Amino acid sequence: MTELADRDYFTDHDILVDPYAYFEAVRGKGRVYQPKGKDYLMVMGFEETLEIMRNSEDFSAIIGLQGASAPLPFTPHGPDITAQIEAHRGEFHGGDLLVNLDDNAHVQLRALVNRLFTPSRLKANEEFIQAFSDELVRDAVANGGVELVRTIATPFVTLVIADLLGIPAEDRQKFMDIIQDAPPPGNLDGELDLDAEDHPFMIMGGYFAQYVAERRADPKQDILSELANAVYPDGTLPDEMAIVKLGMFMFGAGQDTSAKLLGNAMRYIVDQPGLQDKLRADPKLVPALIEEVLRLEGSTKQTARLARRDTKIGDIPVPAGTKIMLSIAAANRDPARWEDPQAFKLDRPKIREHVAFGRSAHTCAGAPLARVEVRIILEKLLQYTADIDLDAEVHGPRGARKLDFEPSFIIRGLSELHLKLTPAAGVDLSPGGSPMIQKSVPASGPQAVPPAPVSGPVAGYSTASTKLATLLSDPGAKAVLDQHFPGITADKRIGMAKSMTLRAIQKFAPGQFTDEALDAVDRDLALLPVD
Amino acid sequence: MASITVIGASGEERVLRANPGQTVMEVIRDAGFDELLALCGGCCSCATCHVHIEAGPTDALAAMSEDENDLLDSSSHRGSQSRLSCQLPITDALDGLRVKIAPED
Repeated sequence: MTELADRDYFTDHDILVDPYAYFEAVRGKGRVYQPKGKDYLMVMGFEETLEIMRNSEDFSAIIGLQGASAPLPFTPHGPDITAQIEAHRGEFHGGDLLVNLDDNAHVQLRALVNRLFTPSRLKANEEFIQAFSDELVRDAVANGGVELVRTIATPFVTLVIADLLGIPAEDRQKFMDIIQDAPPPGNLDGELDLDAEDHPFMIMGGYFAQYVAERRADPKQDILSELANAVYPDGTLPDEMAIVKLGMFMFGAGQDTSAKLLGNAMRYIVDQPGLQDKLRADPKLVPALIEEVLRLEGSTKQTARLARRDTKIGDIPVPAGTKIMLSIAAANRDPARWEDPQAFKLDRPKIREHVAFGRSAHTCAGAPLARVEVRIILEKLLQYTADIDLDAEVHGPRGARKLDFEPSFIIRGLSELHLKLTPAAGVDLSPGGSPMIQKSVPASGPQAVPPAPVSGPVAGYSTASTKLATLLSDPGAKAVLDQHFPGITADKRIGMAKSMTLRAIQKFAPGQFTDEALDAVDRDLALLPVD
Repeated sequence: MASITVIGASGEERVLRANPGQTVMEVIRDAGFDELLALCGGCCSCATCHVHIEAGPTDALAAMSEDENDLLDSSSHRGSQSRLSCQLPITDALDGLRVKIAPED
């Protein structure tokens, strides 16, 4: 039988349940270890992890999303593969997303993001966080319990990002519906295709493209206008798609991490003896709790780098082209850095130097937001309850819990956490005002767009100039669409992109809407007479 | 392009090339001064990229925001020349700037 340290981290479902025992087994092999039969290195040490995160000259972030085990799209050769990486960037999973970018492209895009997470921005966002978490928690406590991850955490963090980005209130429910079913990145059971037509990023992208185009044409006094019109530090205006992808990425990043962090934190609050009473007595300890949970069980287990120049980790020579897994969870439990590393302690010195959010150029930009939103909702949950417990019928008794984790090699997080909530004495749980989310929003596009005026003997439709709403409202054009893309006119996802042209939608789903298919649609549309 | 001089915690002094589009924090960090923690990565949220401006074209520095001012107040090493280096975009006019990395809080 293969010993634990040499089992396949990227596909093994036992490691998913307890990655920490596995990482300790690997640590037993060394601070840097190449598992038997594998073509990547695993870094276990805190110092070595920091060294690599800081050295963005020699280590590229390009494999951050696809992970260290996935094959490279080219065969590296020579002592410096920087140019080869750039030539193949589009073939890497999420190659042009912020987390995977290097060098100047990263510096430029990162500068836009940094402006979104400043303290004054977060202070404005905090009003929404307070009000929305109050509503969610009151509701849950009044019901005597809640499934925390899907019912509270995911919609909560999704709408907090929506508020931060300035998504119009009337569209928020739609974003929630879309993201609710999204799988986390780093799927254990096969490649998750970010470019798949039905991936939530692609659908939200349709909205985002709309927002950006509108705010560029007609800037308002809102955050979206600021984001849509922001220029890079070098003075150039980003391509619209760059802003769209950034917005989508922020939704994905916020959902999979902050939401899971809330679940992980709640497990400690419930299962560490005496902890919840201590936190209720002194809510100022909540930030310390969050930092220690981030260290012990942060929601990102690992990330990855690709050596792009011949280099070293410590004294170990590492040739260009070497894939490296940075085991964040292992670094945060490295006994060389942390005293009694497996123990939960609320008062560790320099706790904020853990690497749960990474370090250096790719430090999580959303970390300040994650800290604020998780703190506030935990404060509410503690404030409105006398006791929080896991539902023993679902999760079993303390000490023998049954928990399901998301099947991801990146994310450490529960799929579900069922809580029993005992209300605090004398607390008023009646709804405190109008709800933050309108539940009955019609599922139409971001804006109702009137059909374009038609002139000439033919209808004059085309995939480049006619909005989808116009095509759908004409029975002849609708039939053409159904003929070329069976089922499309009834697909509610496409309905969300009604105010875009098909050529614009093509950018989000190039596999489904090929040039050939759209050219054929154009030929048929050109034959349509005026009504 | 500008040249800026950075003095590290150990007193080590180095002249660094800085390109417009970067911030002073990024220039110092990328040069390998590990004592500049810059924990938040540049969104003006943590005060761990604190520097003291020692000399040079101080009038050419970007103005201080309230956020930066508030964060610097949290440092026990704040002086009259304190800045958060992530809030200082590089411009050609910063050529000749001298900054010293502030002691860790």
